[in-house]
Amino acid sequence: MHTPLRIDPAKALGDIATFQRKLAAGMGHLRSMREPEYANTPRKLVYSEDKLKVWHFEGHSRPTAKTPLLIVYALVNTVWMTDLQADRSMVRNLLEQGEDVYLIDWGYPDGADRWLTLDDYINGYLDRCVDVVRQRHGLDAINLLGICQGGAFSLSYTALHADKVKNLITMVTPVDFHTPDNMLSHWCRNMDVDLFVDTMGNIPAGLMNYVYLTLKPVRLNQQKYIGMVDILDNPTELENFLRMERWIFDSPDQAGEAFRQFIKDFYQGNKLVKGTLEIGGKLVDLGKVTHPVLNIFAEQDHLVPPDASRAMGKHVGTTDYTQLAFKGGHIGIYVSGRAQREVPPAIHQWLSARD
Amino acid sequence: MADPANDFIRDYQALAQQSWDAWARQLQQQQPQPAVNPFFTPPAAPTSSSDTLERTLAGLKGYFDWMQGAAAGGAAAQPTDWRQQLQQMFGGASQPFAQAFGGIDSAGAEGFSRQWQSWMQAAQHSGFGDLPGTHGPTPAFGLNREQQMQQQATAAAIMESLQASARYQALIQRANKQGMERLQDKLAQHTDLGRQIDSLKALYDLWVDSAEEAYAEIALSDEFRDAYGDMVNKQMHVRQLQQQQTEQMCQQLGVPSRSEVSSLGERLQALRRELRANQVSSPENHFDEIATLRRELAALKHQFASSPAPAAPAAKKRATAKPDAVAVKKAIAKAPVVAPRKTVSSKAAPAGTNPRKRK
Repeated sequence: MHTPLRIDPAKALGDIATFQRKLAAGMGHLRSMREPEYANTPRKLVYSEDKLKVWHFEGHSRPTAKTPLLIVYALVNTVWMTDLQADRSMVRNLLEQGEDVYLIDWGYPDGADRWLTLDDYINGYLDRCVDVVRQRHGLDAINLLGICQGGAFSLSYTALHADKVKNLITMVTPVDFHTPDNMLSHWCRNMDVDLFVDTMGNIPAGLMNYVYLTLKPVRLNQQKYIGMVDILDNPTELENFLRMERWIFDSPDQAGEAFRQFIKDFYQGNKLVKGTLEIGGKLVDLGKVTHPVLNIFAEQDHLVPPDASRAMGKHVGTTDYTQLAFKGGHIGIYVSGRAQREVPPAIHQWLSARD
Repeated sequence: MADPANDFIRDYQALAQQSWDAWARQLQQQQPQPAVNPFFTPPAAPTSSSDTLERTLAGLKGYFDWMQGAAAGGAAAQPTDWRQQLQQMFGGASQPFAQAFGGIDSAGAEGFSRQWQSWMQAAQHSGFGDLPGTHGPTPAFGLNREQQMQQQATAAAIMESLQASARYQALIQRANKQGMERLQDKLAQHTDLGRQIDSLKALYDLWVDSAEEAYAEIALSDEFRDAYGDMVNKQMHVRQLQQQQTEQMCQQLGVPSRSEVSSLGERLQALRRELRANQVSSPENHFDEIATLRRELAALKHQFASSPAPAAPAAKKRATAKPDAVAVKKAIAKAPVVAPRKTVSSKAAPAGTNPRKRK
């Protein structure tokens, strides 16, 4: 039995010196770098309304899929996680598989959007976006791919507008908000959301980011940047790191009313699985989701625990339910190398069988 | 008696600290320093390379300080009792857990925490803490009764908020303490030859695992949930009272207040909903109406075609039939109007262009 610490003082000083040297040299690189661009896969604007835009992506070849796929992202953070960088773009990968991809970009809400409700978002904006894509293709129903909060929206939408959806795919989507490992849900349970929204109006993006950082304070606020010191001399890796930083912190504020409703009904009330959720005065009955459903979640997700997503299987009315567990986290499911190999091909394969 | 090894460490530390401070100062010079103003929060700076630098620095500083402290206080010491050695390495001002939490405040929630802090500073500078109300309400009277009562309410709310924050901070400290205990437990599994921790980085990574585990356990406790909710609610209460006072000032100055603007926004959204509802919510009624009108029109046409055609009166009939036809056309024109949409087709600008940045 020995002491567990066998740190040579000279080596420790050497480590500090190395750290200092890397930092000093790399800081020059960091300061000289421009803000990295996203992948910017070619796309056309096909619809806009208020701050919302619907983009139609263009692949190298014509889509082989007969039914278009509309991606519904969350209101938090920007949609460009789906098209982050050229070699890590879910959108680009789906195009290469043969999918015909549309994307809703919700934009950056401001004071004029303070009173937008979930009804406005789901039965208003989202419904009109679906109609636009349906009309462009002359179809009664299209495929939806909902991501995170956008998955909860898509699920609710499918229950409310069953005729307009052919197949539903959800990624890292919370359904049961009261699983014991859901830290965000746990924290907001005793919050007076009415007081919060009445006081704040729209919820600032900075405050949202603060909350996300405090989920893993040391790892996300310190250890991550220590790891960055090792890549300061690698322009490509540094650019990738900064691109991710841009995406994380360049995020939209949340429309106050929609935020109030989402926290109260989803996080606090867990009404989606209780069957008591109403949007625009209409009951969201998950039993009406009789469409084919592919539910993809991340096994190491610290924002949406896997059990929160898995719960969907018990509540939807479909007999064609497929579940895919991805070995990775909430972000890695879009941008990791493994994700590029596994997720878009799995989506395409599943859709092809139901096209 | 002089200790050459420790003297060297101290000298090195001083040198390293100087270089760190030098470019930390350089960075700070580029950042606009906000004035302390309780009623104004500068808008959050958009993400930029300097913002990234600031955030990066906040994270790295804690680690750097800790490495220096650990090298001087722990690693250099003779390992007689490794637990004591560990305490030396993770104790004191270079405590990395506190640094990690402190760093968050300077990054994401900047606008929020800055406003809060500046308000507190302003309150302290003006002797606000000595006002009646901080130790309980005192009856007020006279012309300024309402203002006095409001000030007392705000002072009391601030005190409550500070207490709630202190309760939250105590839990954070408990997480830190339990993180250290977990680290000791983990280290106890590294006593075999070949499994010992031989670098500061390896020790730091093990500590991060321990700290996050302990934090997660506490963060998921009922006690934390209560403290967190209470802290948020108390802070919001202070903000609300603060906003009320600002609103009153605005009213006195004839400046439109936040609630007035918000009220306009609420009415505008309600109007938009009504408009849409009138346009699209009852398409089936329009469809029914159109179908009925079409049937009537067909019947009229049929009737008209099958009736005998007397010469002079027929012209009159046609003349009177015209307005009916116009009325039918108008009714059809009222058919469902698709909600105003902009269906466009244009090439994309670069993704993620934040409109706030273009200002």
